[in-house]
Amino acid sequence: MVAVRGVSKWFGAHQVLKDVSLDVAAGEVVAVIGPSGSGKTTLLRCVNLLEDFQQGEIRVDGEAVGYAGAGAARRRLPERVIARTRSQVGMVFQSFNLFPHMTVLKNVMVAPVRVKKMPEAEARASAVRLLERVGLADKLDAYPARLSGGQQQRVAIARALAMQPKVILLDEITSALDPELVGEVLAVIRQLARDGMTMMIVTHEMQFAREVAQKVVFMDGGAMIEQGPPRALFADPRTERLQTFLKRFREGYQL
Amino acid sequence: MLNVLLANLPLLLKGAVVTLYLSAASAALAAVIGVAVALLQLYGDPVTRAATHVYLYVMRGVPLLVLLFAMYYMLPYTGIDVGATAGGIIVIALYFGAFMAEVFRAAILSVPRGQWDAARALGMYGRLLMLIVVVPQALRIAGPPFVNTCIMLVKGTSLVSIVGLWEVTMAGRQIVERTLAPFQVFGGVAAVYFVICYCLSRYGRWLEKRVSYVH
Repeated sequence: MVAVRGVSKWFGAHQVLKDVSLDVAAGEVVAVIGPSGSGKTTLLRCVNLLEDFQQGEIRVDGEAVGYAGAGAARRRLPERVIARTRSQVGMVFQSFNLFPHMTVLKNVMVAPVRVKKMPEAEARASAVRLLERVGLADKLDAYPARLSGGQQQRVAIARALAMQPKVILLDEITSALDPELVGEVLAVIRQLARDGMTMMIVTHEMQFAREVAQKVVFMDGGAMIEQGPPRALFADPRTERLQTFLKRFREGYQL
Repeated sequence: MLNVLLANLPLLLKGAVVTLYLSAASAALAAVIGVAVALLQLYGDPVTRAATHVYLYVMRGVPLLVLLFAMYYMLPYTGIDVGATAGGIIVIALYFGAFMAEVFRAAILSVPRGQWDAARALGMYGRLLMLIVVVPQALRIAGPPFVNTCIMLVKGTSLVSIVGLWEVTMAGRQIVERTLAPFQVFGGVAAVYFVICYCLSRYGRWLEKRVSYVH
């Protein structure tokens, strides 16, 4: 579903992604872990071209994201085409980014109606269904400012799902939440995984990554260091960098 | 003592109506100029961006009175004649339009980055993104400083009396010439401006409360 091939990205002279390749099969959940500044969020943002990248290729369901041609002939696709690709890739952010001037229902409906040109009644019915699914059927007319972080994040998930995306990108979606609210958000993601949604998850929740992902990718310094099934990767890290990272992580937990 | 004021009240109020008209017309025009210039500044090509820069610096660097003099004493030599009232409205609008452009530009820039990201991730771009996500939020941010600029504008309209436009300040000067009672008459003129600006301030406060996000 998602194929990342040799992607490199520079911020000025500083290389933030180094020849990253990675596959996400349909229905698969891939977790990307690594220390802060390892480029995992940047990689995620490249998949729907919220960030440009200078080398390599990303395909979503066979369609090239953002660029056509290679080498000197490589050019950025027109904004209209990029927007179409983005409309098929859902994204949930660390800071929720709900539209503060719209009710919960409107937040979920607005893109299907205005981008996909879905009839209003149909979009409303689908939005209500999705909000029921994330347990917020009683908040349809509330404004985001009235909701807790966990509730806001669940609305954000419903908003992403409303576009019926082929894949959903989750960018540290529990990092901004109070510890007691993390569970309700992860429960929604767990259910999505069971329903066969293709997901790419950047997370600091190792336990969650281990439980929900079929594949875990470890990044450090902008490069993909190691990837594999979670059980093997966590139990038997082959590289020293992953060993150090996991060790530091476990120590952090014991404090 | 207040008889002078009472006797001339109808004339003063007539002037107040003209002041209101001048203010409303030039504020509306200034808002349009402000939005256009702000958008050109942010998203225009390098040439229009440079042109709007020149406009902003000239308007901010030259006093309104000097701009009015330029309009009334220099423009006729170029063969352009738009009439006194229209000329006054245009100069005031051009002058305060520059300040409004800054208000709107700052408002657009202060819409958080995450809002753009979220809108883009949902497949919005260009005009749709601006219209649905950015402008509604920018307008809320721009509301209070916009009202503030309008208050400055209302008071700014008094300067057109110097170049011969008849409005409430001019009416006051005429009454004073006739009655030799500057204290009472200009007190009345000041009251007119005060009432207009006070209403605007209250409206601004009300607006600020109404559009805040917690409902």
